[in-house]
Amino acid sequence: MPLNINWQQILLHLFNFLLLFGILYSLIYKPVTQFMAKRRKHYEDMDEKAKANLAEAEKSKEEYLNKLKAADEEILEEKKNALKAVEKASAVKVKETEKEVEKMIADARKDIENERKMMMKEARNEIVNMVSDVADRLAVESKTSDTYDLFLDSMEGSDTDA
Amino acid sequence: MGKRKRRIGTILFVLLTVSAFIGTLAVKPPDSHESIQILMRDAVLHEVNKISLFGWLEVNPGLISAFSVSGIFLVFALIVRIFVIPRFTIIPGKFQLLLETAVGFFENLAKTNSPHRNRFLGAYIFAAGAYIFVGTIFELFGFQVVTTEGVSVSLPAPLSDINGAIMMGCLSYFVILLGGIAENKLKGVGRTLKEFSLPISMSFRLFGALLSGALVTELVYHYIHLSYGLPVLVGVLFTLLHALIQAYVLTMLTSLFYGEVSEPAHK
Repeated sequence: MPLNINWQQILLHLFNFLLLFGILYSLIYKPVTQFMAKRRKHYEDMDEKAKANLAEAEKSKEEYLNKLKAADEEILEEKKNALKAVEKASAVKVKETEKEVEKMIADARKDIENERKMMMKEARNEIVNMVSDVADRLAVESKTSDTYDLFLDSMEGSDTDA
Repeated sequence: MGKRKRRIGTILFVLLTVSAFIGTLAVKPPDSHESIQILMRDAVLHEVNKISLFGWLEVNPGLISAFSVSGIFLVFALIVRIFVIPRFTIIPGKFQLLLETAVGFFENLAKTNSPHRNRFLGAYIFAAGAYIFVGTIFELFGFQVVTTEGVSVSLPAPLSDINGAIMMGCLSYFVILLGGIAENKLKGVGRTLKEFSLPISMSFRLFGALLSGALVTELVYHYIHLSYGLPVLVGVLFTLLHALIQAYVLTMLTSLFYGEVSEPAHK
């Protein structure tokens, strides 16, 4: 054969290389690639987990924000209702108070009127009594000008008192 | 280290180097029964220097190198499998990182060049790349074996033997063919056969590249006066460089063609 090519030696080289291939594949290549794949999967899992956690956190955040919004709206509604109720109650109270005040004023007016009437009655009675007294005294004593003056004086004094 | 100690060390180093140089000039070299022509011709054709394989067969030194490299790999792989891989951690240490980078490089090469079918390809190019790289570096150690004629020769790179290179090129072509058949059946065979020159080109590229390294090294070491300083460049740097390049070229070509023939046919 040219170049000293020897088929037997080629086959021996082949046998040697196939043996080497088997050794390297089973003892180094396969375990190392398996480990690398395992580590890649480990990091991919971690990445997926982190992404899922992030998505969940985003979802929770959105939920909380929605809840907060709903709560704010609810508070606003409650405030409005409370304000309305307070306004209604205060209006009723004001009305009641006004009625009470009106009644008190009317009562007071009535009382004053009654009192005035009583006072007028008393004053009239007093005048009548005084007149009667004076008349009695005049009848008893003489019908003089002094007596008449006395009568006038006493009349003036009772007006001032009234 | 003090200045004085450093100075003494430097002087000693220079003295030793100079005395070694003078010694090599003074001492008469052993009678070489092989001229450089015969040596280089034998490096290519392996007509003279044969090694006995367990007394059963006379083989080229390259085959012994191939078995030695496989032995080294076996021990290394066993140690790694038993002591290192079970202690792998999520955050890798230095050695784990080195292993993962090497495996990951070939895995990615297979995935990028053959996106449809790459599991077997990744394993194959990892083994082929490791074999070419370590096999080429192996020649640096200069392990000695005795030929059937009683001459001591240093073990060359396994693929600088034409039989090894033919095996590697043809096996790579066969792997490409398998990829084509697995994905596209007969159409895959047709696609692979279109590249009929591939096994020859891959075999002879490997053979030529590694043989040239071996020849230059033989040449340099044959003349004692070239053995100073030059081997650092020729022996170490060039070997490392072409170990890397050849490992990359063969694995890259294999994965490229594998990807091409295993691409699903468009309907």
